[in-house]
Amino acid sequence: MNASTFVRPASAAREKYRASMSMHAMAVGCAMAALLVVAVLTPGFISLPNLIALTGTLSLIGCVAIGMTFITLGGNIMSFCLGATCAAASMLVAHLSDAGAWLAGLAGVALALVIMVVQGLVIGLFRANPLIVSIASLSLILGVTQYVAGGQTIYVSGDALSMLKSRVLGVPAPLLVFVAAVVVGELMLRFTRFGYKLILVGSNFEAAEVGGISTWRTTVAAYAAAGLFTGVAGILLAARYGSGSMEFGVGFDYSAISAVLVGGTAIGGGQGSVLRTMFGVVFIAVMQSLLLLYGLDVQFQYLLIGLVVLAAILLQVRSKS
Amino acid sequence: MGSLHPILQADNIQKAFGAVRALNAVSFAVERGEIRALCGENGAGKSTLVKLLTGVHRPDSGEILVDGKPRHYRSPRDSQADGIAFVSQELSIVPHLSILGNIWLGHRDVPLLHRRQALRRKAAEALSVVGLDALPLNTMAGTLALGERQLLEIARMFARDARVFLLDEPTATLSDGEIARVFDALRRLRQAGRSVIFITHRLAEVFDICDTVTVLRNGSLVTQAEVAGLEREQLIELMLGRPLGQMYPPAGEPGGATVLQVEGLRIPGQVADLTFEARAGQVVCLSGQIGSGAGEAVRAIGGLVYDMHGTVRVRGKRLVTGSVASALQANVRFVSEDRARDGIFLTLPVRTNLVATQLDRVTRAGLVSRRAICERSLSACERVGIDHARLESRADELSGGNQQKIAVGRSLTDEDFGVLLMNEPTRGVDVGARAEIYALMRRICQQGYCIIMMSTDIEEVAGMADMVITMYRGRQVGSYSRSDISRSRILADITNTAAAREAA
Repeated sequence: MNASTFVRPASAAREKYRASMSMHAMAVGCAMAALLVVAVLTPGFISLPNLIALTGTLSLIGCVAIGMTFITLGGNIMSFCLGATCAAASMLVAHLSDAGAWLAGLAGVALALVIMVVQGLVIGLFRANPLIVSIASLSLILGVTQYVAGGQTIYVSGDALSMLKSRVLGVPAPLLVFVAAVVVGELMLRFTRFGYKLILVGSNFEAAEVGGISTWRTTVAAYAAAGLFTGVAGILLAARYGSGSMEFGVGFDYSAISAVLVGGTAIGGGQGSVLRTMFGVVFIAVMQSLLLLYGLDVQFQYLLIGLVVLAAILLQVRSKS
Repeated sequence: MGSLHPILQADNIQKAFGAVRALNAVSFAVERGEIRALCGENGAGKSTLVKLLTGVHRPDSGEILVDGKPRHYRSPRDSQADGIAFVSQELSIVPHLSILGNIWLGHRDVPLLHRRQALRRKAAEALSVVGLDALPLNTMAGTLALGERQLLEIARMFARDARVFLLDEPTATLSDGEIARVFDALRRLRQAGRSVIFITHRLAEVFDICDTVTVLRNGSLVTQAEVAGLEREQLIELMLGRPLGQMYPPAGEPGGATVLQVEGLRIPGQVADLTFEARAGQVVCLSGQIGSGAGEAVRAIGGLVYDMHGTVRVRGKRLVTGSVASALQANVRFVSEDRARDGIFLTLPVRTNLVATQLDRVTRAGLVSRRAICERSLSACERVGIDHARLESRADELSGGNQQKIAVGRSLTDEDFGVLLMNEPTRGVDVGARAEIYALMRRICQQGYCIIMMSTDIEEVAGMADMVITMYRGRQVGSYSRSDISRSRILADITNTAAAREAA
């Protein structure tokens, strides 16, 4: 029996709360609907190559965005180094692809996990500013990979990762990976003690501390989750381009945080979900794809995404007041 | 001239927000040179009235008159031009500006400030009225104490020729010494022929400083009276609309087993030495003013202060110093005085709040059971008396009293003993809901808990405590059991005044 059926009388306050929440949902819903209509009417949007390209981008950015969601929800705003972490993971995956897809993939995920957990420890134990830590980490990752790989692109050997280029019943494998990631992420948030703690810490750090929740453990766990999903994105990245290079990760952080915000996760933490992020990802990815189809330059992409993020954040401020 | 009419008058004012009638045919007048208290529970319509008088809202019907002339304010700017100044709780002092700069901030002559002797003179005059004349005009406002900032705010309004000062709970965050200075300033305002409207929750202050009192209840005017002819109990009755009766529930049976032993508790710079014991069923009050260390001591018992020395034992078992986890394991839980900061999770639903600190009890193998959450939150609701219908509401939509119930509710466990630590248990809780919180505290005691509370409100201490420990500047001054508690002795102890002791 569904437990939430226990108590359901509506109160005025609750209606108000619902109204403010649904305002965002409605705005995003309307914008999505409009975007999809434009998309369907755009020649070339519904074509196999475009859809495959679209789902490829979507899955890639999507996995990073899920990782970002955990960071944002826990009250740590965002990270600037998820793109670089993802790229570094993809290089390791490419480097180890001789040894088999599974081993390479695991190593990639492990690398991302380690990079993020270290940051989580620094932020959780020393209360360091998460933004500054992520900027420092970005620089460190770039430096170390440059030193190790000498700025080269590392190619995936043979068809080690061909599994991720295949289609299952017509659905591209990366999309399946993304859907799985959404499900896992959402379940983690909703049904695990970690998920509850993360939301509590994000909602009010001090109160969580007073309430006996180990804030640093929760923060480390949030970064570990971010590392996990970013590592998965690293595998997708290596599979997509057949190689690993630091060039590929550029801009991922920005797309990811855009998706998180457009989805309606509160920038201050404590409110939001992976499911919402998924909608944000679809929105951003479809928009980018349309801009490409209309032949608009990169600067227009940046412009439009900037506007969308601005609109999303203003909408958050409004529904709060 | 002009003395025929009250300086500020509200005539038969009505105001509704949607279906809620906030003010119903309220008439109200302030004379020159009087200090008028505005009393009422939360939701009585005090702040609505203030907002109408200052032009934040406009009345649906009725009129506001200044010097007998009807005025129609469209914004606070208009009312300020008429000399009606609102001194808010959240001070609008800019810390990086000088006192002089703050006084004239936003005034149209500001760019010429340093050349205008007249402005300096006027500022100095205003400062002497509020008793800040000892400070040089170029002192940075950020270096002032909280009470001095409050005074500066009043001086600022005075310098701008305000004639009516509206003060909304100006003393809520001040220590007694600072309150005395604010009161002196108000008295000098009265001497200067200015009027003051004074909103406060502390009834003692009404009798200390106010000449007249206006009581609102449920949006209607209940009475306007001279304070001199009024008894304290009468005033409470007028506010509540029913006899005060049992504000404080009867004390329980003493003589439970000793639950908590605090020995030589010391926090460098805050608490010198504190030793006491508490039995099951007892309410032990640490009483002291701001700076007495009483609040910090309570936090320290809950494991929230890291550099604490001394030992805390619960049922003979020693707690690990500065560890919340260790305190929680012994079922020692802390309810904060500042709910927004570290009390409850304002942005989350009541349901989540109620299980927030007991997640382990609704989890199995890392997975949370929704069913367990529902059961636990429902039973917590029942224990503390929160309406079930509010379980899905966001916590910040609840009144202060209900929020406090959440904080208490989530601290209660299934165990048959425990220690509840409460700092200022009724801060931000209005008079009516206070009685409920007190009753709740007693009920919890009867279940075998002991409560250690800290309060700066002597009345509350005297009403609730089975044992009082008075503190002054980090030192334990006295300790009284139920039969020896007297307000004057507590007051003498916490203010360190022998004079007050003799007066008893």
